[in-house]
Amino acid sequence: MSTRFWESDWFGPFVITLAAIIVVGTLNPSFLSPFNIQVLLLAISVNALIAFSQMIIIAIGQMNLSVGAIGGLAAISFAGMMQVWGMPWPVAAGVALGIGLLAGLANGVLVAFTGISAFVITLASLSIYKGVNLGITEAQPFYEIPDIVKSLGNDTFIHPLPWLVIPCVLAAIGLWYLLNRLPLGRSILAVGGNEHASELSGISVRLVVIVAHAISGGLAALAGIMLVGRLQLGQPTIGDDWLILSFAAPVIGGAILSGGHVSVGGTLLGVIIVAIFTQVLVLFNIDPFLVQVVLGGLILWAVGVNRWREVRAQRRAGQVQI
Amino acid sequence: MAIDVRHNQSDAFKDMMANTSQQDAPPRFSITRILLSNEFGLLVLIVLFATIFATISPAFLSKFSLYALGRTAAVNIMIGFSMMVVIITGGLNLSVGAIGVSAAMFSGLLMESFGMPWPLAVAGGLAVGAALGAINGIIIVRTGLHSFIITLATMSIFFGIMIFLTHAESYRGISPVFTGFGRMKLFSIISPLLLVTIVVALGLSVLFRFTALGREFLATGANERAAELSGIRVQRMITYCHMLSGVLAGVAGLMLVSRTGAAIPSMAGQLGQDWLLPAFLGPVLGGTLLTGGRVSVLGTLLGSFLVTMLTTGLLLMQVGAFWVQTYLGLLLLFAVLVDLVRRSYLQRRKLI
Amino acid sequence: MSDTISKTVFHADNITKTFPGVVALDEARITLLEGSIHALLGENGAGKSTLIKVITGVHQPDSGIMTLNGQVFEPHSTRDAIAKGVGVVHQERNLIPRFSIAENIFLEKLSAHPMRPINYRQLFRDARKWLDLLGIDADPSLPVSRLSVAKTQLVEIAKALSLNSKILLLDEPTASLTSHETDTLFAILRRLKSDGVSLMFVSHKLEEVQEICDQVTVLRDGRNACESRPLAGLDRQAVVRLMIGRNEQIPDWSARDRSGEETVLELKNVATSLGHKGIDLSLHKGEIAGLYGLVGAGRSELAKAILGKYAITDGSVLLHGKKVEIKSVADAVGKYRIGYVSEDRKSEGLILLHSVLENVGVPVWRRLANLFAPLTNRAIREHTEPYIRKLEVRTPSLDQNMGNLSGGNQQKVSVAKWLAAEVQILIIDEPSVGIDIKTKAYLHELIRELSDQGTAILLITSDMPEMIALADRIIVMNDYQVRGEISNTRVYDTMSQGIMNLIQGEDMSAEEAAPAAS
Repeated sequence: MSTRFWESDWFGPFVITLAAIIVVGTLNPSFLSPFNIQVLLLAISVNALIAFSQMIIIAIGQMNLSVGAIGGLAAISFAGMMQVWGMPWPVAAGVALGIGLLAGLANGVLVAFTGISAFVITLASLSIYKGVNLGITEAQPFYEIPDIVKSLGNDTFIHPLPWLVIPCVLAAIGLWYLLNRLPLGRSILAVGGNEHASELSGISVRLVVIVAHAISGGLAALAGIMLVGRLQLGQPTIGDDWLILSFAAPVIGGAILSGGHVSVGGTLLGVIIVAIFTQVLVLFNIDPFLVQVVLGGLILWAVGVNRWREVRAQRRAGQVQI
Repeated sequence: MAIDVRHNQSDAFKDMMANTSQQDAPPRFSITRILLSNEFGLLVLIVLFATIFATISPAFLSKFSLYALGRTAAVNIMIGFSMMVVIITGGLNLSVGAIGVSAAMFSGLLMESFGMPWPLAVAGGLAVGAALGAINGIIIVRTGLHSFIITLATMSIFFGIMIFLTHAESYRGISPVFTGFGRMKLFSIISPLLLVTIVVALGLSVLFRFTALGREFLATGANERAAELSGIRVQRMITYCHMLSGVLAGVAGLMLVSRTGAAIPSMAGQLGQDWLLPAFLGPVLGGTLLTGGRVSVLGTLLGSFLVTMLTTGLLLMQVGAFWVQTYLGLLLLFAVLVDLVRRSYLQRRKLI
Repeated sequence: MSDTISKTVFHADNITKTFPGVVALDEARITLLEGSIHALLGENGAGKSTLIKVITGVHQPDSGIMTLNGQVFEPHSTRDAIAKGVGVVHQERNLIPRFSIAENIFLEKLSAHPMRPINYRQLFRDARKWLDLLGIDADPSLPVSRLSVAKTQLVEIAKALSLNSKILLLDEPTASLTSHETDTLFAILRRLKSDGVSLMFVSHKLEEVQEICDQVTVLRDGRNACESRPLAGLDRQAVVRLMIGRNEQIPDWSARDRSGEETVLELKNVATSLGHKGIDLSLHKGEIAGLYGLVGAGRSELAKAILGKYAITDGSVLLHGKKVEIKSVADAVGKYRIGYVSEDRKSEGLILLHSVLENVGVPVWRRLANLFAPLTNRAIREHTEPYIRKLEVRTPSLDQNMGNLSGGNQQKVSVAKWLAAEVQILIIDEPSVGIDIKTKAYLHELIRELSDQGTAILLITSDMPEMIALADRIIVMNDYQVRGEISNTRVYDTMSQGIMNLIQGEDMSAEEAAPAAS
């Protein structure tokens, strides 16, 4: 295509990732130990799904504040159904995923049919879903998680690749295919790029908004379910700290917040960068509280860079019109 | 320019005004309009729920209950104001909680570690609030990016730095005079904190109604480009609004310190996120336009009060403390939907 | 105009559309023929835009019948109209900026099968055909955000044609094109015409209409002043007469020379961050200096640079002979008393959400504010009401929302605002966009009166008759440079010829535009 590879969204994050791996690996060889790679991949797998969940909403030019609340609700439903009703784990996971899809669908329907901003709708639903979570659990975790779930959430299938990498990779490939090859995914980006024009081209904007929110809910739920396996318990607080991360990774990956442009590969690299930076703080015994500062700083840096690229592209388009 | 036009016959003008109404503008003081106003609707809901709670649980009207309600409402309204002054610019401030806690912690530090007299410590805390707000504002106007993503980032940064510096420890050496203020009872039911809030509300009303600065805030929020070309320093206005938001968040944080007698890093939850819902509920219920340019100080006050009363009432009725958040979410949803219906009704009436 | 008898493609018969209190269309008729370009003309408020909205499905008519290719045509939405074969190229761009040219052209077809994978290679090949047909020299895989406005417009035409549109409606297509781009567009339109496409051309530029159109339908007060009549044999005056029901009234003011008066504003060899170069310009007390140029000549941008919105990178600005540095619009308004009436009332000129009173008061708030007394509505009203009265703004009350006023009254408020601010220099950008003929005449008189009272006025307009009627001196700009200036003799033909010569004569202007730069 017409963009050169060093101008693409993933190139900058890719260079940073590579540089970070080399620098950190040299300074602290344990960083590249198989065990550490496994730990990193576990974090990346879950965080990638959280980021994708927000990314698909950024694609339509909206935001979803309830990503964490949906993930938390799915997590405790998953754990609760196994503990209280003794449900087999695949069934419980399926139902929990369904709950996530429904929760996202509800967001989508409300946004699409009322025309109220997604910010307000998802702020309300964040509160509702979180409230239901607390109402069910009364803030107490579910502890009885089947061993197989615990194992899937932590162990590797080929050393050092953990099982959790599989859903993450599948989701990434699926989303890439959706957003780059399927008209449905193109419609999602089209609506984000120019809603009015999309409508005039026969795209049902409402349907697209609803589908995007449903996908977002499903991905958030999947992240929540995976986190139950990894933490080995159904924590009601799962999802509380997702919000910042969910925005950080897509914007590091070059997503434009006004919609119409996201990058699956870039987002994945964004997640990896965040994971490496977080690890570095641990490896070098830096105060872990600074993780928040680093995350915030990364967002500012990334949106700044994206803005600069956008302005530059506009200026260039203004000068050399083809 | 020296066109002297002041001596034209004003009667002719009034005539013209009366005869040429192209669309029938709703008269300014029509009863329907007042009844359909947000503020009136909120008042009705407040009275309605107060009656319900009082009927079910007489303890609701006890002196202590009313006192506690007023005290909690005072803080929530202040949080609502903190968000409101940014919403009028068409933006938002996700970092209200982080700023509020940071300001409170700084005051706590000044009092405990430096033994500063409380008025100085309070001033120091508010200065931190203003400074953090100014940082938000400056980044927003310089980059031209939406305040959502900027304040999302700074919320993480401010909170992270605060936790890093305080090691997540509370300051408990708060001046007794200052904590006494938060625990004082006037006429055995009124908290002085509520008076602070009312004074701030009056101040904000004066600002938006009777000062050039307040009007320029609103003009900037309604149409930034037009405001700029009319000679308003829009970037400065946006920065001021964020500073004001920071100060008000600081006031809310300090009110909490005064009430609990300690500056606690977790008093607004992780990253200060717990303040977000009350911060938006007040202005949104109160009819402040999220796209900017229109404000209702009274509406925000009533909206935040209603939310506080519902929370208190539900807890009193023991419907399960854990479900309260769900009800608040539903309330927000309900409020925006009602607002939608109300608005389209008003619009239709104006057209016909 | 071809003499062969062409087939009727589209016909609207006795279309009536009323809005509360207004009959927007009163039995309007129009017939579009195969292989012809049809001009739809009318003053603002004549019903032109309502008719377009009826044809494109935005509004449904109260009565009347439309047929498309002999079949009854009743679109219930814009989308429906497009699907049934009405291709529209609007002023605002209706493309997805980051999508490729090819994908934009075929978006409709693609979205019909949401789960069928896209074969991009095939898509680019298919798009190539349409691009070749229109003579667009661009890679189909290029994102449209990288195209010029003119090319984007052509892509929209390609998109409409690919949908087998039976008629193609072009709404002010040349509004933001350079004259060269306009020529290219017209060549393509002529080719489409010869291929049998039926085109409807909506424009307020009568010169263009006469150049390219075959038939004309003129609306006046919602009725047909003429219906689908050949344009051949109608001269400009005849068309204008049809549009306004009488001859164009150009006020017959005698030529004035104010160059002896004090120089209020002077630019010396000014360059700006937007790309203006070597701008020399002076404005005298009580003078109306016109700034003429085509769209994209950099006139509004220069005005905003003078106001301090954009940086002046070289040269000097003098006010009353003193060198000044205007750092912000706030300084221009507050300190130097310069006002600017924007061409874009809705997004730059007024705050539609706020009341008339708020809008008129903005520039004077600071002046009226007093540390010891509140700035009340009453104080603002006392100061501004005389000006609103002077301009005969028609509004039920000063508390009415600006958005509820008609275009003409909105424009009056935009001017009243600066009168209330007692500016010494007033820059007026396209004063008569979107207002009716009567208000326009009124505004012209007002502008003249203001200048007689000493205000220095810099008038920016693309409306040649307006320019020649009002300006004392005309400064011609092109490509962000001053090409020269002429004092206005108010003889239309010689003046318009002189102005066009300045715009086109690049070689001659090179010397004139860069005089002895100190």
